[in-house]
Amino acid sequence: MRESSDPLRVEYSQRADGLSIVRQAPPAGAASFSATYIGPGGWGFESPPNAGTARLVNQLVTAAAGPYDRVALARRLDRAGATLAYQCAPESAEITIWGPADEWKPLLGLLADVVLRPRFDVADISRVRRQALERRLREMSQPGGRAEYEFLRATFPDGHPYRTTGRGTRASLARITRADLVRFHRTHYPSGGAHLIVTAPARTTSVLAATKAYFRGFAEAKGPHLTVPRFSSHRPVRREVDLPGRSQVEVRIGGSSIARGSPEYPAAYLANEVLGGRPLLSRLFQRVRERGGLAYHASSSLEAMRFGGYWVAQAGTGTDRWRKVVPMVRSEIARLEDTTVSSSELDRIRESAIGQIPLSLESTADAHELAVEVAYYDLAADYWARWPAVLRAVRPRDVQRAANTAMDRRSEVTVLTGPLGAFPRRRTAPK
Amino acid sequence: MVPDGVPQPKVTAFTLPNGLRVLLAPQPKSPAASVWVWYRVGSRNERPGLTGASHWVEHMLFQGSPRYGKGEIDRAVVGVGGELNAFTDTDFTAYYTTVPREHLAVPLDIESDRMTRALITDPEVERERTVIFSEREGNENWPEFRVEEELLALAFRVHPYRWDALGRREDIEQMTPAELRGYYRRFYGTRNAVLAVCGGFDLRDVARDVRRRFSRLPSGGEDVGVREVEPAAHGERRSELSGPGTNPYLQIGWRAPAVDDPATPATMIVDAILGGETRLFTASSGWGRAGEHPNARLYRGLVDRGLAVRATSEWRPRVNPSLFTIQALAAAGIPLDRLETAIGDLLKQFAKSGPTATEMDDVRAKIRRGAALSYEGASRTGFRLGYFSVLRSLAYEQEIYRSLLRVRAPEVRDRARELFRDESRVVVRYTPITEVPHAGV
Repeated sequence: MRESSDPLRVEYSQRADGLSIVRQAPPAGAASFSATYIGPGGWGFESPPNAGTARLVNQLVTAAAGPYDRVALARRLDRAGATLAYQCAPESAEITIWGPADEWKPLLGLLADVVLRPRFDVADISRVRRQALERRLREMSQPGGRAEYEFLRATFPDGHPYRTTGRGTRASLARITRADLVRFHRTHYPSGGAHLIVTAPARTTSVLAATKAYFRGFAEAKGPHLTVPRFSSHRPVRREVDLPGRSQVEVRIGGSSIARGSPEYPAAYLANEVLGGRPLLSRLFQRVRERGGLAYHASSSLEAMRFGGYWVAQAGTGTDRWRKVVPMVRSEIARLEDTTVSSSELDRIRESAIGQIPLSLESTADAHELAVEVAYYDLAADYWARWPAVLRAVRPRDVQRAANTAMDRRSEVTVLTGPLGAFPRRRTAPK
Repeated sequence: MVPDGVPQPKVTAFTLPNGLRVLLAPQPKSPAASVWVWYRVGSRNERPGLTGASHWVEHMLFQGSPRYGKGEIDRAVVGVGGELNAFTDTDFTAYYTTVPREHLAVPLDIESDRMTRALITDPEVERERTVIFSEREGNENWPEFRVEEELLALAFRVHPYRWDALGRREDIEQMTPAELRGYYRRFYGTRNAVLAVCGGFDLRDVARDVRRRFSRLPSGGEDVGVREVEPAAHGERRSELSGPGTNPYLQIGWRAPAVDDPATPATMIVDAILGGETRLFTASSGWGRAGEHPNARLYRGLVDRGLAVRATSEWRPRVNPSLFTIQALAAAGIPLDRLETAIGDLLKQFAKSGPTATEMDDVRAKIRRGAALSYEGASRTGFRLGYFSVLRSLAYEQEIYRSLLRVRAPEVRDRARELFRDESRVVVRYTPITEVPHAGV
């Protein structure tokens, strides 16, 4: 196997038990190491009565594992100068360890303990459950969290894995037992359908040998299947949630969108960058903040996942300003879909996106994120090396077409959360 | 054990005739270059009526200078894939731009243009006023921000640390463009600035380029020293707030030393044992906080016991004496009185017996490990070099690192006794009262 020293070109290996190993060289001069296990442990797989299970499991695996109780694991990490991070999404859960490069092997062993042998100690479960209840309440009462919650509920139908934020409800969180958590972990942290991404100053053979030694004994070889209902909607939705006593109104406008693997993705990516994705240069930032002075943050994001996604424009604004912001955001979405972006604007956004790649190679942690994305979406090993050429092949009319494909205005969702009643309101007809 | 040093990169430091301090740290393998400008001006240099001026000026430095009209800084930097931002604190304001290494001239040109010649026009100030309101409103949505603002106002009656860097809403409403320009002209100048350039570049070329661009700037920048000295407190101060929120929350503060005080290292160790971090030397893949510390005393004493869902301490040394805080979010059903009593008991125990040998070993290991990876990447390098330079001096990082490793357990115990005195305690408690629509909770 040819080994790459270029962090933009990863190497794939597939093990007999289905675990995909991805090795990435660290950036030149980096002194740290990162490794991530990512598998089908997302909340899209959980049953509604046990909503919240996936996030609890994701947090608990990093609490105590193998020979380490909670305090011992924290001490082990501190003494190594390492950190563990967890992240849960609708279709995946990931655990990342980061630390000094010269300790990559024992730290990889520690990651294996965490992924394969979590303890689910009763005291940890109680603690994590208390924290989850508070986060759930916070999501409901904070304008930002509430806006995301309402947006997803309005965008996706019942039973869709993207419809929730995975935080469960007070009732479901109280209902989840230790046995539920152990069962979910056994079936949703498998070898098959999962990836182990290692960014370390080591040859591929060393990485494979280390993963063979540490990552053995998965309870399940085969990952679960995610059911994603097909749906279509041609009805705009508007939701307003008055949260008295808050200071800022959060605005979300968007709808369901394309999957990461869609052939339209590169053009849709650029369309989002033009609209609100590219910091400081995007149309939303320029119009709402820089010219309008109406909001501190105004942006958009295209969340393209394996089975679909959503595209949302967002802004946080004052009680006396949201009435100006909403039509402004909506008109920018319409402009993107109705008119072709100029070549000069597209070039500016495109070259900015391409120029950003070297900045992703400043540190191991930054470069590692690129490799995780490649692995999870089964992208080509040299995906990031070829990304500039892919972007340069996108034409202005491709962007317009992708914008229309990736965001259907007929089913546009508008969500407003915050102190809406703090300012004289015009009557709106909720749809 | 003889402490090792922090693995700082090799830094070439010089001061231009106009007073500008320059730090150059080439990292030949880096694909990026990062330019940081740190000004020794922050909210401590403001006065009532002008609170928030430092932060507002920070915004205005992106809104136009002679060679870069409005929006052109963003286009010049982001257009080549770069990143830029700025932040304001009590003691400093920092601007950073990180670009692919071949574009290093872009941020150098921008910084040399706006260091003394930002335009700060009336229309742009007015337009930015609502952006700043919006930023403040976003913060006000969080009970934690409201509590901290109240805590500072209670703790300090004289010193400008009594307001948050965002400034008071009333001051933001009435501050004039002329006042902002005056503030900028008074403090923004070469004598109050540190320029740090880090990453992939040739030292000789960039040193020449920096001298060429920045030497022609006029010398300026008034003394940033603050004369106000906060008088000693002679009794506990407390305040009760209420509003929307989840669980009851509190912050408790105590007077803490200035950065140049000999008590600073032991105070940092107190923070590390109670909260889990020393702030200046933390193992982290980013710049942010490393997250939960389940082996820290407050976590074990409050979160593990089911009294809180979150609990930590926080202290960073500042130029003037500041506030050491403990923050805790109660678990559902736990009254704040009980939480506060538990914190008091925990601190009494700590002040009586001090840290254990294991805790001291763990903290030293954490400091060593935190320092070891702190210079990965041009951006983090620029942050650290500039931060320590404006806080005290470039050499201070090594000094405080060695001092921290020398602190012994009895010093920490004595420091805790001195720090957690009832008469200098400030308490702000927040009780959530508003029912909010909880769909499906």
